Amino acid sequence: MSVTNLLENWSQFRHKHPVGDQPHEEYKWAMSIDLDACTGCNACSVACYAENNLPVVGKEKYSHGFAHHWIRVERYWDADGRDFPDQGAQFLPMMCQQCEAAPCETVCPVGATNHTADGLNSQVYNRCIGSRYCEANCPYKVRYFNWYDYPTTDNVWPEPMNQQLNPDVTVRGKGVMEKCTFCVQRLTAAKSNARTEGRTVRDGEVQTACQQACPTNAISFGNLVDPEAMVGKQWMQQQVQLDKDKQAKDAEEAASKLRGYRILEELRAYPSVMYLERVRESAI
Amino acid sequence: MYVGIVLVGGLNILLGEPLTMVRFLRFSVLLVGLCTAVAGHANTAQPITTADDLGPKVEQPIEFPHDRHAGDMQINCMYCHTYARRSIVSGIPPLQKCIGCHQSIESVRETPRIKKLFEYWEGSKDGTIAPKTPIPWKKVHDLPDFVRFNHERHIQRFYFQQEKPVQEVCGYCHGDVKTMTVARRSKSLSMGWCVSCHEKDHAVDAVSTKTTQGPNDCWQCHK
Repeated sequence: MSVTNLLENWSQFRHKHPVGDQPHEEYKWAMSIDLDACTGCNACSVACYAENNLPVVGKEKYSHGFAHHWIRVERYWDADGRDFPDQGAQFLPMMCQQCEAAPCETVCPVGATNHTADGLNSQVYNRCIGSRYCEANCPYKVRYFNWYDYPTTDNVWPEPMNQQLNPDVTVRGKGVMEKCTFCVQRLTAAKSNARTEGRTVRDGEVQTACQQACPTNAISFGNLVDPEAMVGKQWMQQQVQLDKDKQAKDAEEAASKLRGYRILEELRAYPSVMYLERVRESAI
Repeated sequence: MYVGIVLVGGLNILLGEPLTMVRFLRFSVLLVGLCTAVAGHANTAQPITTADDLGPKVEQPIEFPHDRHAGDMQINCMYCHTYARRSIVSGIPPLQKCIGCHQSIESVRETPRIKKLFEYWEGSKDGTIAPKTPIPWKKVHDLPDFVRFNHERHIQRFYFQQEKPVQEVCGYCHGDVKTMTVARRSKSLSMGWCVSCHEKDHAVDAVSTKTTQGPNDCWQCHK
C-alpha cells in the first residue's frame, strides 16, 4: 500500500460504515450484555487480564488512573438515602464498544487503529506512536496507554510468572495504546478453522474470555450476520439496529417493554455492544 | 501497455524534477507496474523478491541435506513437516521420524552426517549426548512475535484447493529448498512482501476462474 493509494482512496477505508450501502458480508461481531444478570462479580475482568496479558499495575498506579482493565465493571450507587454497605448499586461492564464509526479511528495520525471487515476496531501496536489522540476522542474511555514498560522495568511478570502469558497476544511495551479486541486471537483461530472446513463460524463456536468466565451468562457474543446467532436474535427482539442512532425503545413512552439500548447512541458512533436494561431492584 | 507505463515512468525522470517524494512515488508505481506485468504474463503469483532478501547462514547441529530429501528423493515437504496442513506451525520432525527411515537405509549408514544422527538416537560414546536427545535444530524462518502466520490456511488454499505442486507452494515463502543443503531464508518475509502477494488475485481452486485476494485487514496478521 503506497502513500498515494492511501491518500486517494481514503474514503474507501471507511466503506464498512453502517449507514453506507455496503453491509457486512461474512461476519459482524457483536455483543449483548444483560445488566439484569450482571452481579458485578468482576470475573469477566479477571478473565480478560489472564487472556490478554494485561499488566496488574498495583495500587499506586491504579490510583493515578493507569490501570489496564480492558473490561471494567462500572459501579453506579443508588441514591436511596442509605450509606455503604447498605446502599444499593448497579453494575455495568464497560469495554471497547467496537464502534462502526469509531471516533478513535479518524484521529489517529499514523493509521494504527483501523476498521476490519468483521466490524472490529483494530489496534496495531507496531504502528502506534503513542500520540493518545484516540484515547482523548473515545467517548467510552476504554483505551489504555502504556505509561511504563510493564514487562521489563516494572517486572509485572517476574519469573516464572511470564510462563502464564498468552503466546497469541503481544506483550505490549511502553508507549503504545491498547484496548479490548473482542479476543481477536480466538476469532482468527475460529475463522481459519471454519474456512478450512469450507463454512463460516457457527454460533457458540467462539467465545470471548469475558463471556466464558461470566457465571450468570450475562454476556452473549456472536456474529450479527448469522441469522441463527443468539446475539442477533437478542438484537432483533429488542429492536436494536446497528445502523440507527435512535432505537424503537427511545420512541416509546416511559414504561417500554423493550430493554435493549446502546450507550451514548446519540454520538452516532454505532457501537457493537447492546446492553439490556436492568429490571429488578438493585441488590440489598 | 506495459511499455507505456515504462515510458511514463521514464519521462518523469527525464523531465528532471527535483528529487521529491512525488518522483519517488512515481518510480515505485513504475516498479509495481513492471512486476504486475511480469506476474500477469507468467500467471504465477510470485511475490517480489530481491537478492538482498537472503537471510544469514544458520549453522545447524547436523548439516541437513534438503537437496537429497526434497530434490533427489522427491519426498513431499509435509512428510516431515507434517503439521503444515493442519496447524499454525509446520513443525520440525521429531528424531524418531529421521530414525524411522534411516535405520533401514544401510547404504548411507556409515556417512558422517548419519553417524551424527545416530549419536542423538543411541547416545554418543563420550557420553556428552544422552540417548534419544532431540536434535537442537535452529530456527531459519523466524517471524517477529507480533505476527500471526498460519501455515494451514496457505497450504489448504494453494496445495489442496489449487492443487499446485507442493514445492512451489512452500517455495513461495521458503525459496527453492530442494537446491539447498541447510535451509536458508531467501525471501524477505517483510510485511510489504507478504502484502505484495495478498493483493494479487488467486484462483479459488484448480478449475475455477473465480479469484479472490488475500485478507488485508491489520488484525489478520498482527496480534
